[in-house]
Amino acid sequence: MLSLVEEYVSGLQDSKAKDTAKGVKDGEFTVLQLVEALGLSLTSSQPHTRARGVQLLSEVLQECYGGLTEREVEVLIAFYENRLKDHYVITPPVLQGLRALTKCTALPPGSAVSMLRSLFQDVHVQVRLAFVKQNCVFLCDSFTELKGLGADFVFGFVQSMDGERDPRNLLLAFQIAKSIVHRGYDLGKFTEELFEVTSCYFPIDFSPPPNDPHGITREELILTLRDVLAGTPQFAEFLLPLIIEKLDSDVQSAKLDSLQTLTACVSQYEHKDLAEFLEGLWASLRREVFQTSSEKIESAGLAALTALTSCLSRSVLNSDSEDSLCIFLDLVLKDCKHHLCEPDLKLVWPSAKLLQAACSASNRASHIIVTAVVPSIIEQYNNRTQMNASVMCWFCFWFCFFSGSVGFSVEEVVLTCSSLQRIAEQVQDTEETGRCFHDIIIPRLLSLALQSVSLICFSQNIVRAFFMRFVWFPFWVFHVSRLAEKTASRAVSLFLDGDVSFLPDNSFPSDIQLLKQKGDSWSQSQMVCLLMGCVCSLPRSVEVPQMDQLLLQLEELSCTCSHPPSYTSAAKCFAGLVNKRAPGQFVCTLLLVFRVYSVLDSESSSVRTQAFTLMIWVRVMLHVVYIVFHCVSLKLFSLLDDADLGPMAADGFSLLMSDSSDVLNRSCHADVRIMYRQRFFSENSAKLVQGFNAAPQEKKPNYLKALSNIVNKLPKQVQVTELPALLSLLLEALSCPDQGVQLSTLSCLEPVLIDPPAALIQQLEALVNRLLALTSSRAMNVRIVSLRCIHAVSRFPVLPFRARVLRALARPLDDKKRLVRDEAVQARSEWFLLGSPGGS
Amino acid sequence: MSGGTRLENANPVIFQRSGQRLHTATEEDEDVHDPIDDREIFDILSINDPEHPLSLEELNVVEQIRVKVNDEESTVGVEFTPTIPHCSMATLIGLSIKVKLLRSLPERFKIDVHITPGSHASEEAVNKQLADKERVAAALENSSLLEVVNQCLSTRTI
Repeated sequence: MLSLVEEYVSGLQDSKAKDTAKGVKDGEFTVLQLVEALGLSLTSSQPHTRARGVQLLSEVLQECYGGLTEREVEVLIAFYENRLKDHYVITPPVLQGLRALTKCTALPPGSAVSMLRSLFQDVHVQVRLAFVKQNCVFLCDSFTELKGLGADFVFGFVQSMDGERDPRNLLLAFQIAKSIVHRGYDLGKFTEELFEVTSCYFPIDFSPPPNDPHGITREELILTLRDVLAGTPQFAEFLLPLIIEKLDSDVQSAKLDSLQTLTACVSQYEHKDLAEFLEGLWASLRREVFQTSSEKIESAGLAALTALTSCLSRSVLNSDSEDSLCIFLDLVLKDCKHHLCEPDLKLVWPSAKLLQAACSASNRASHIIVTAVVPSIIEQYNNRTQMNASVMCWFCFWFCFFSGSVGFSVEEVVLTCSSLQRIAEQVQDTEETGRCFHDIIIPRLLSLALQSVSLICFSQNIVRAFFMRFVWFPFWVFHVSRLAEKTASRAVSLFLDGDVSFLPDNSFPSDIQLLKQKGDSWSQSQMVCLLMGCVCSLPRSVEVPQMDQLLLQLEELSCTCSHPPSYTSAAKCFAGLVNKRAPGQFVCTLLLVFRVYSVLDSESSSVRTQAFTLMIWVRVMLHVVYIVFHCVSLKLFSLLDDADLGPMAADGFSLLMSDSSDVLNRSCHADVRIMYRQRFFSENSAKLVQGFNAAPQEKKPNYLKALSNIVNKLPKQVQVTELPALLSLLLEALSCPDQGVQLSTLSCLEPVLIDPPAALIQQLEALVNRLLALTSSRAMNVRIVSLRCIHAVSRFPVLPFRARVLRALARPLDDKKRLVRDEAVQARSEWFLLGSPGGS
Repeated sequence: MSGGTRLENANPVIFQRSGQRLHTATEEDEDVHDPIDDREIFDILSINDPEHPLSLEELNVVEQIRVKVNDEESTVGVEFTPTIPHCSMATLIGLSIKVKLLRSLPERFKIDVHITPGSHASEEAVNKQLADKERVAAALENSSLLEVVNQCLSTRTI
């Protein structure tokens, strides 16, 4: 061995190190024996010889560190630390050796501390950092031991970092500083120094040279430094003024960095750290948003505001401390609130954004701001007759607050819904408003609806109020095509697949199946009315995705659900979708209709009512497809005789003939054929008369009701021309005991009496008799309308009946209802004047 | 009626018509009995003035405050105020009011129409005539008188 040593040290043969190492490994000699052998060189008077000796040892250690015992390591560390005090030329091999030693698993406890201590005390600064750089990971892990070093360590570190310019070193330095700061290390009296030495680089202004081999990017430096600065509340008193100062800069990147750092740091802070800086911070943030020239900076500013508010909201109040959240929000409201009420100035939108950012921080903040701002918004809204985009935006964000908070009352729900509805109807249809609705309001609406049905914290009243309002929401108003398409596809994926990803909240149960009824619970299935709103009012050019699947599920829901509003909405939705399809696809619909028939024909089925509803709605929608039209109306006629469904079938005719305001009308882009009512009537009236004549007595009311329903909805001119054919039937209807029939017959007779056809004149006596009989009906409405009819009849050649009528009308003069008496007085007065001198 | 002769009261003061009576919820309720009240009687009295194309209400000849009805006792009393103390139309006006009420109220009612005390020179005489049933019936047999009354009661729009 000695020869190897000699050759290495004096002979300067580097290769001998390897042989030596091999010798140690093979167990020819131990490391300590090596040290002894090196004794001569290590005590030489020449620094270079000493260096050489240490180097040999280090190189051997590099190879053999794994086999060292704890005792050996301890001795070696002591030796190396001692050598650190030696000539600087020896330091590199010493460091090399220490580095090797730090990899030992058998490292005794406390050795890291003693190493670092000697390091900081004895080694030349620049070299130290290089060593540290190489052993960063190890050091970070052992920092739990380093707390014992206290402020000395911090001081040492600060010194070593001072003046560093090389980005690689800086990156490393920042990483270590971050480690120090994050582990809650007590910085003692060197807090400010540590802050200074790191913050002097803030904000980072670094452009990596082209073809930089080390690949250090500006973002890396920015982020690591940010982690340091924002890492501990102990820096707050220094960092916050620095941020406020840097926000003043003209350089965009400096502003951005400051804002983002602010956002990062407040997540660690408490209100007491922020208290004295709130005004300054708010002034800067406000300036950045009000006078912004860059969207990035604006959004960074808003994010900072949210974070700040969120931090303040977290604070726990003592009985004697002030509520800093309130203080801060007072500042915010003072500056922003009055701008909202001056909608012509351009600060409305920025103010709104600021308030919204603050609101979204926490429920507390939201509550405070909403109660302060909303009443004046509502008042403003009520005072304006012209809706413009800025007003819409207020409501946009108001609705966001509203949907974000819990625990609202029924009145609030109703108020919100009706206001939203009014706005939707009045606002101009521009890209911006469309986007507002489709991207913000509609998802929140759906989210709110879903929450209200799936979470128990909402009372039934609220749920009901909510749905009643939103069934009529004018979804069709906002149709910038691609936005509508987006909403439609989102709605479809929500309803078919339970995909809630586009909804703003995420507190939903995982198994949402909105198109299925769960047991007896209909709360989720009633959501289908919102689906109806989303997809049925789309223009024909917009394709509804997964149409077939949707139709299948809707059909099932409408035929099986037991909750009337749910299955009716499902039927309407189904029909609305079918109506948008090309007429050539009616075959599927025809098949559907037959499926429905089979249910209707089986008397024992429990879902006949649902099937009937579906059929009616499909029928309503399909005026375009004549064959189906014909089939279904035949079915409807046949059902007039049915024991259970007869009355419903009669009412069904009313539905057939009327416009449905929520699905089948022009504004929903539905296909409405003109004159369908006349056509229907002229084709079917004969059949009705026939059926009536043939029907048994107890079924006759159904026919009469159907007839009066149909006639009622005809346009006036048609009524007048068609009436003669039906006159006898209508007169018959007047004596039908069913009050509904009486009323509808009277109401369709009344306008005809203004310009009566000749046929009517021939039947005057019968008419008058029937009418008089009805004046003593039990229903008030019937009495009223019949009296009006008698009044109208006075203009006909009815003189022969005068005396009788006057006598008969004496009775209603004493009717118990004033409204009836009013009509009686007028009718009787008119009849008195008949045939009398001076009468009109 | 005013054929060429000078009008009695050429420039009457015109009062504002009261608005339509508003319906209440109880009036729509089938089961509740609405008693006959003063306003209702007053509404029945929408009678035209014989001389002017105005209603009695607009001339303040009839006022709601001077209408008193008692439904339970089946009595109704109407005071009317001629526009000038020597108005010769007073009898005619009183007759029109009486006839309108006879035609518009159930038979059980006892109708009393008289001139507001102190507003007409011959109010006693007029009141006596109006209270006398036979005289009223006889008057209505007179076709030219009936014609005038009917014109007052006709519902031509003013």
